[in-house]
Amino acid sequence: MSGRSRTAVFGLGLIAGLAALAGCSWVGDRFADHETRGRALFVLHCADCHEGTYPDLRKPPPKLGGLFQSRTLPGGAPATDAQVRKTIIEGRGTMPAFDQRLSEKDVDDLVKYLRTLK
Amino acid sequence: MHLRKLKLTSAIVLFVVSFVMVAASQTKSKRYNLRGEVLGKDPATNEIKVKHGDIAGFMPAMTMSFKVKNPRLVQELQPGDKIAAELVVAGDDYWLENVRITDQSGRRTAKAPASPHLLAVGEPVPRLPLTNQDGKTFRLSDFKGKAVLVTFIYTRCPMPTFCPRLSSQFARIHDALKKTPDYYRKTHLLTISFDPKYDKPPVLRKYGLAYLDNDPSGFAHWDFASTTPGDLRQLANAFGLEYIEEDNQISHTMNIVLIAPDGTVARYWSTKWTAAELENALREQATKVGTGSAEAAGRKDRR
Repeated sequence: MSGRSRTAVFGLGLIAGLAALAGCSWVGDRFADHETRGRALFVLHCADCHEGTYPDLRKPPPKLGGLFQSRTLPGGAPATDAQVRKTIIEGRGTMPAFDQRLSEKDVDDLVKYLRTLK
Repeated sequence: MHLRKLKLTSAIVLFVVSFVMVAASQTKSKRYNLRGEVLGKDPATNEIKVKHGDIAGFMPAMTMSFKVKNPRLVQELQPGDKIAAELVVAGDDYWLENVRITDQSGRRTAKAPASPHLLAVGEPVPRLPLTNQDGKTFRLSDFKGKAVLVTFIYTRCPMPTFCPRLSSQFARIHDALKKTPDYYRKTHLLTISFDPKYDKPPVLRKYGLAYLDNDPSGFAHWDFASTTPGDLRQLANAFGLEYIEEDNQISHTMNIVLIAPDGTVARYWSTKWTAAELENALREQATKVGTGSAEAAGRKDRR
């Protein structure tokens, strides 16, 4: 990749980052494929806890890599779409509920993205 | 080549910026005379909001908050007071010193504080009703005879450094106190939700159990409560809590209040605290609890 195109990619990344920071609704319908939309939702709502390190928390939120490759979820329930949907909406243990904050489509796309995690 | 030149330029710019910042931080403090009117105050942070005139050589007239070095002065000052003070500026930091009230006559005409007003240390806590995780109604004043640590959360808070951290650290304090039965008996923890529409007793119970390792006996020492939106607003005014609901998310401040066994405010914390610091302050207040009837008259009555 040339220096100029690298700069262009960096610039686009910066704009996307700033838009996210500014709370812009960039997770709109402009993403045709659900997986990309699910990834954006994951970054906005899940990554902070599930990919960060917070020693002050009662229980460290589990990493979600390979979530669906195991037969059970970190909490012991079967690793099914329905169970993951339920966990997102109702919360589980110290994980907050996302009830009324994510639409049905949001949850669908999130689950689709979670399925891709290795 | 182009990239190398860019890197070199960036390095030079960074060096110059660092140099300027270091130089600025080492600058001696400067003092400016300020005159203005107090519009509000926050005893938790020792800040006052001042509508001030031009500060010659520094900034034009505007309204802004200033830290006051002497906390006792913050208690004395009231909205409507005209003041004269010295604004001290040292690098990025600034604060007020030598604050003098030049005219108190405006106190009467100042906008009346919301009722109840922001409580200063030593003032009694409000008698507003709260409903806990079991649907039982109680009042903050019911805890007389115990040292009580209070904080505010909403159960759907997704920010790991806000409500989840508060509840996690309260859980740590709860665990520590449990190991010393005398202090456990003389203290209480209270978590109040500022999302009364969603955080009904069953939701609060589920939330509380997660932080009590699913042991419901812990609720005897740590209540999770909610109240009506109107009473919540009054509680928030009393303890300096600010919250705004937008799209099912709530932007809010972090507030922790220590209530002394005599039912008065003992201390506030906002962002800078550790569980150990809170626990020590709670234990210190608990040592003031007598062995007589005041303690017995506390929480046991409503169990």
